[in-house]
Amino acid sequence: MDDFEAFLDDGGIVEVDDEMPMAYREAVFSFIEMHANSELMGGLTERDWIPKTPGLRHKMSVLAKTQDEIGHGHLLYMVAADMGMKTRQEMLEDLFAGRSKFHNVFHYRAETWGDQVAIAFLVDAAALASQQAVLKNCSYGPYRRILKRIVSEEGFHMRLGEDRMMRIAQGTDRQRELFQGALDRWFWPALQLFGPDSKPGDVLLRWHIKSERNEVLRDGWVQKFVPLLQSYGFTVPAPDLTQDPETGKWDVGPIDWEPLKRTLAQGGPDSARRISEAADNWARTAWVRDALAERQPVPA
Amino acid sequence: MSTVHAPPSPRSLPAAGAPDRASVLAAVATVDDPEYPGVSILDLGLFESLSIGPDGQVDLDLVPTFSGCPALAMIAEDVRAAVRTVPGVGDVTVAWLAAPAWTTDRVTARGRAALAQEFTVAVRIGRSEPQCPRCGGRLDDRSLFGPSRCRSVALCGDCRETIEIMRA
Repeated sequence: MDDFEAFLDDGGIVEVDDEMPMAYREAVFSFIEMHANSELMGGLTERDWIPKTPGLRHKMSVLAKTQDEIGHGHLLYMVAADMGMKTRQEMLEDLFAGRSKFHNVFHYRAETWGDQVAIAFLVDAAALASQQAVLKNCSYGPYRRILKRIVSEEGFHMRLGEDRMMRIAQGTDRQRELFQGALDRWFWPALQLFGPDSKPGDVLLRWHIKSERNEVLRDGWVQKFVPLLQSYGFTVPAPDLTQDPETGKWDVGPIDWEPLKRTLAQGGPDSARRISEAADNWARTAWVRDALAERQPVPA
Repeated sequence: MSTVHAPPSPRSLPAAGAPDRASVLAAVATVDDPEYPGVSILDLGLFESLSIGPDGQVDLDLVPTFSGCPALAMIAEDVRAAVRTVPGVGDVTVAWLAAPAWTTDRVTARGRAALAQEFTVAVRIGRSEPQCPRCGGRLDDRSLFGPSRCRSVALCGDCRETIEIMRA
């Protein structure tokens, strides 16, 4: 293990057929599996909004995001399955049985279009910041290369999110109220997506799977989004919010991690419905997979 | 409604005669695909034609990879902004054509190289069998669709890399 860690510290990249300690393989696999699950669950949420989206322009962006997220899940499940820990079928069975994890934000329900705007603007930015920090220095080659493509597309989603946000911020009082309500519901889950402060000896950091501590990434997000939301005239729902008069840095005050812990134990406000809908969806679409497995090669 | 004749702003006046085609194209070339930063839309074959009016008006025709592409408004916006920086350019319009259809043989050699090197994305041209951008190995198709309508997904039979293939 010492040699392996020295190899990683020197910037070594591990490929799928390389020898690697089992603990490393497990850590990388769990990380990719959770990412894949999150893309799938996120894609299904986005999909729910296709028929309800206001206007053709937003509908195109929702359609594209749905396909992107499901496509990212597809690529990530391929990379994860290739590590030889679980097959894709086993990963999906675990997801639908509530035995594996996905990001906290997908344990909440998006009730209004305002929620979707808040997700696209705040949550996507948080997810992108986390992924960028992994991409920067990830020691597992296949994941790093897939991430490069995913991060480029998530950057495009950010622009779509900004577009949604600008439209609602410049809208009527009712639209602005809708967004403020969504902000009140989504600000804290988005912030908690980064997780609690990284523990000393976090293997994800030690093995160069992640390149930045959770609290550093979270703080970067706070410093960007608190002033941005305020500049659009919205209220950041943090009663203890303060700004350091010297440095200008924002502090959201103490963070209650209980909601995050509940989502990790599948006890979030919408966890049960989300998981069962995803499982139903998988069962209902079995005929498509069967048909594709039977298909004759299509001429190019 | 009253008509006010404001003096023309310096922006809308051709600086030194009409802009030349090469400078406009060079500006178009600076616009990257929003999903592939570093890969120009010119190299992806989205450009079809342009005309320059005597007053510096530039009309551009572009071809989408597929008509439902969600990046069209964004690309058009980026192209207008880039072309407006060319001296002598007045108004800029961008139209998305329904014909000709975009095909992968519109992607330039430089575009293919950038997609392969930067994003490990292969390009399927006509009936050709694309190779793995990493190792040159044979690709096994895994699904017709990837994260976008214009891409399918394959696995390299040699290095086992997960590869997206750009297709028409």
